[in-house]
Amino acid sequence: MVTCPPLWIAVHLPLLQLEVFVTPLFARQEMQVSVTLHQGRVTSMSESADQAGIRLGMRAGGVQMLSANADYYQRDHNKEKLALQAVATALLQYSPQVCFAEDDCILVDISASLSLFGGIRALRKRVQESMRILGYTATTGIAPVARAAWLLAKQASRKLPRGQHVFKLNRLSQRLDRLPVKLLTAAEPLTELLQGIACYNLRDLRQLPRPGLQRRCGKALLIELDQAYGEQAEVHEWYLAAPEFKVKMELPDRIEQAESLLIFARSLLAQLLGWLAAQQLAVTHIHMELLHERGRQAIPPTMFDLHLAQACWQESHLLSLFKEKLSQLKLHSAVIGMLLEVKQTIVREAQSYTLFPEPGGQENEHKRLLELLVARLGEDNVLQPAPHADHRADIANHWISVIKKPPPPCPAHALAGYALRPNWLLPQPLALDIHEHRPYYGSELKLVSPAERIESGWWNEQIQTRDYYIAVDRRHVRYWIYRERANDPDSEEPVWFLHGIFG
Amino acid sequence: MPYVSSLPPEHIHPALWRASQLARGQGGYLSSGYAELNNELPGNGWPQGQLTEILLPQIGTAELSLLKPALSQLDGRPIVLLTPTYIPQALAFACTGLQPSQLIWIRCNKHVDALWAVEQVLRNSSCGALLFWTSSIRSEALRRLHLAAQSSETLFFLMRDMRAAQQASPAPLRLSVQATQYGLELNILKRRGSPRDAPLALHVPDHPYLYAYAHPGKEKLATNYGNLPSTVDSRAPAFTPA
Repeated sequence: MVTCPPLWIAVHLPLLQLEVFVTPLFARQEMQVSVTLHQGRVTSMSESADQAGIRLGMRAGGVQMLSANADYYQRDHNKEKLALQAVATALLQYSPQVCFAEDDCILVDISASLSLFGGIRALRKRVQESMRILGYTATTGIAPVARAAWLLAKQASRKLPRGQHVFKLNRLSQRLDRLPVKLLTAAEPLTELLQGIACYNLRDLRQLPRPGLQRRCGKALLIELDQAYGEQAEVHEWYLAAPEFKVKMELPDRIEQAESLLIFARSLLAQLLGWLAAQQLAVTHIHMELLHERGRQAIPPTMFDLHLAQACWQESHLLSLFKEKLSQLKLHSAVIGMLLEVKQTIVREAQSYTLFPEPGGQENEHKRLLELLVARLGEDNVLQPAPHADHRADIANHWISVIKKPPPPCPAHALAGYALRPNWLLPQPLALDIHEHRPYYGSELKLVSPAERIESGWWNEQIQTRDYYIAVDRRHVRYWIYRERANDPDSEEPVWFLHGIFG
Repeated sequence: MPYVSSLPPEHIHPALWRASQLARGQGGYLSSGYAELNNELPGNGWPQGQLTEILLPQIGTAELSLLKPALSQLDGRPIVLLTPTYIPQALAFACTGLQPSQLIWIRCNKHVDALWAVEQVLRNSSCGALLFWTSSIRSEALRRLHLAAQSSETLFFLMRDMRAAQQASPAPLRLSVQATQYGLELNILKRRGSPRDAPLALHVPDHPYLYAYAHPGKEKLATNYGNLPSTVDSRAPAFTPA
């Protein structure tokens, strides 16, 4: 077995406190000046707030002076925790080893995932894309040591979210030396002290005598420093996904177009994919609820279910099913929340990668196609034959939806008896005119077969007493026509009917 | 020395040929089942992964007897019937060697849905053939379908009315078909290669049931086709004018 060199990617959410209230998925909110307050002081702010001159630690009154129409949100630790869990769930797509770190950071051990996702750059791109879909601003850092990756991700600025990366252990200390000392959590309360002794970056800190540093600043700072340089091992508590998947999401605004729900559905889907990957499951039944107005004018939620004939865990297929389902939906009132629940799963089947793929694609592909067609066209419009053993042609020719269980295949000898049937049946038999005592359809019809008498259905109301003939018109088109025996040929009632066409 | 098959290489796989042979056009071809027609078609058969237009004087009259020999060679891969004018009868398809379970009948309420379904079926390429009936189609939609067809290996036939023969079309192969007394008459309106002006007559053998009726005394031909419905009296007159 080949052991991979360790490699970690850290995802830092610098604006998490604000983004649990104001999501960047909604473009129009981005220009708004908005801040979060904790104990009366600004703890996080939007980019436009930064441009307006608002700084961290300002009081609400100061913000009011700088920007009159700023939005204030009280910091909500509970929401932040839920959001971090959602992000961690989504990141389980890329590795089963995900853990939380201080300051809204998530660490992912990706050393075993590199070849699966096509290298570190492709993987980082995918992680960033996932974060964009989830609706969070994220910066990343990559290093062979978890604590170092965490430092690099925190160092990455908002303008350059693709933070620094170090792949080799021997380059690590050189890169870390330049980082400012305030990035360490244990250094935060000691900022003034460290500045006072001209200790600005990690290199300065490492050059200080250790016993003295431990006595003045505590042990935590040294431990953190050693962990960053890989001199001390770190124990991680891995994040475990919940055994059931039921995620509720509140929308930032009231949404009335079903199509614009797709952005938020994608964010739920990203979490679902991570959850499925962590549990090694494939989903067969998804339940979705669109929540409407609550309270006094409560409206029951719009619900729909996605049943999958073929268990699935691929993003592209699930996304296209969501897209079709949502574009079909007619909303009767605005949506304020969404709920996604997995009702049924099965264990994922490992895919076999044949050397020569079959030219027709695999059977799973076909089932996926049928699901997609059913999602848009409706299940009653995508049909498969389920012939009945009956002499009456319109009853024998029975079609059922493709999502129903197919009937057992007919044995070949059972089909031989019905040797001559038209390819096409008319939905309703068409009464034919009579010209010179002969049936007439466009031109005179000439009978070219003996009669086939079909008399059946006496046990219910649909009795048929008909003599079927094959007839040819002037243009050599063959028709399947019948004479209704119950009707008197001398009366006004039509006697001849057209029932089918031979293709 | 290993055994060298005398089988022509294109029978092993459509993408194989001997160095002494000429390579055919890109993509696969499937024999139409009519030797006379194969000689007239580029690649000796129906093209896979291309749009083929079949123009008819009356929808539903001749296309299936033309296509059924080819459809029966699909080795059980699904055949999609998209928006046919009438109700397809599965048992009639079954008589020609197709399994009824191969058929998928798609109905659409809107024309855009049908075009969407075409693209999905072609892109997925798990189906052996796609037969699409339409009364009117815009030329940009046609071009789009042709592009979609090129990304797949599906046999794709578009059935249109004969009046569309005058309109330009991006389809590389266009035929018009009508029924005659002995079978079918084809006009190749457009193909890759020299044009053909004279109509091509295809002989479609009569069903033994009809043959026996038209030629009394020669029923022996019919015996190997299994038993006919017992309700039929083959000697009875077809129709007696009142």
